[in-house]
Amino acid sequence: MSDQFTRISPLADIAFQGRFGADHAAPGVTLSVQHPAAIVAVIARKGKAKALAEALQNWRGVRAQWAGAEQYFVLDKPFDEVRKKLDGLASCSDQSHGRAIIRIEGPKVRHVLCKGTPVDLHESEFEIDRSALTQMAHVGVHLTRIGRDAFELSVFRGFSESFWEWLTEQSEEFGYQVI
Amino acid sequence: MRINCPHCGTRPVEEFTFNGDASVQRPASNDPKTMDQWFDYVYLRDNPKGRFDEYVHHSSGCRAWLVVTRDTQTHEVFGVVTARDHAKKRVKA
Repeated sequence: MSDQFTRISPLADIAFQGRFGADHAAPGVTLSVQHPAAIVAVIARKGKAKALAEALQNWRGVRAQWAGAEQYFVLDKPFDEVRKKLDGLASCSDQSHGRAIIRIEGPKVRHVLCKGTPVDLHESEFEIDRSALTQMAHVGVHLTRIGRDAFELSVFRGFSESFWEWLTEQSEEFGYQVI
Repeated sequence: MRINCPHCGTRPVEEFTFNGDASVQRPASNDPKTMDQWFDYVYLRDNPKGRFDEYVHHSSGCRAWLVVTRDTQTHEVFGVVTARDHAKKRVKA
């Protein structure tokens, strides 16, 4: 038996590339599935919240997204490396297989997202690199602003298909492309 | 009704799950003689009109346990603290 497994995106059979929805000159939003992604959920050990926040801040080349009180999602690094680095500070669990990340960007991105979440996503309220946990179409969503008009939406793998359907439906009126 | 989560900011009530009276205290003793206290703790609840401390779970947000003080008649929210801070305050008092 092989030790190597290929990780298949939960949206492999549904997120097809192309141009969809209303035919305006330029698409309102662009969707892309971030796959494969390395996602590690990190929760501070007792009394280590501050030390963990500092360790993550000083760790170059890693993206740490706030994911609740004293909790983060650490992206782009393999699980073993994260666990070694944060040894004694945090409990780590590999979520790379458990969550799907969808990137959405474009001039109409806020119009699409505000149909789903009560979080105020105006730049003055929600700056770049900030994350929030919320709900869209009854699905728990972890969203992070990665640019002025760009967000990453992270959902549980099992909900990703229905969430994708909702998201593309909401994007139709603006015209969207999948890349 | 909006609840100001200490971690997430103001969110609509749909994101939260209510889980009852936060003023009840678990009896310290397991002695069978304290059965009356245990009966109160497990089964008996007041149904107050007015100010009420209530456990609330931010189930569709940061998943933190909170204690919300609200008016059961008007739904005015007076304050929100994390369940952790609520418990610490109670230990001190």
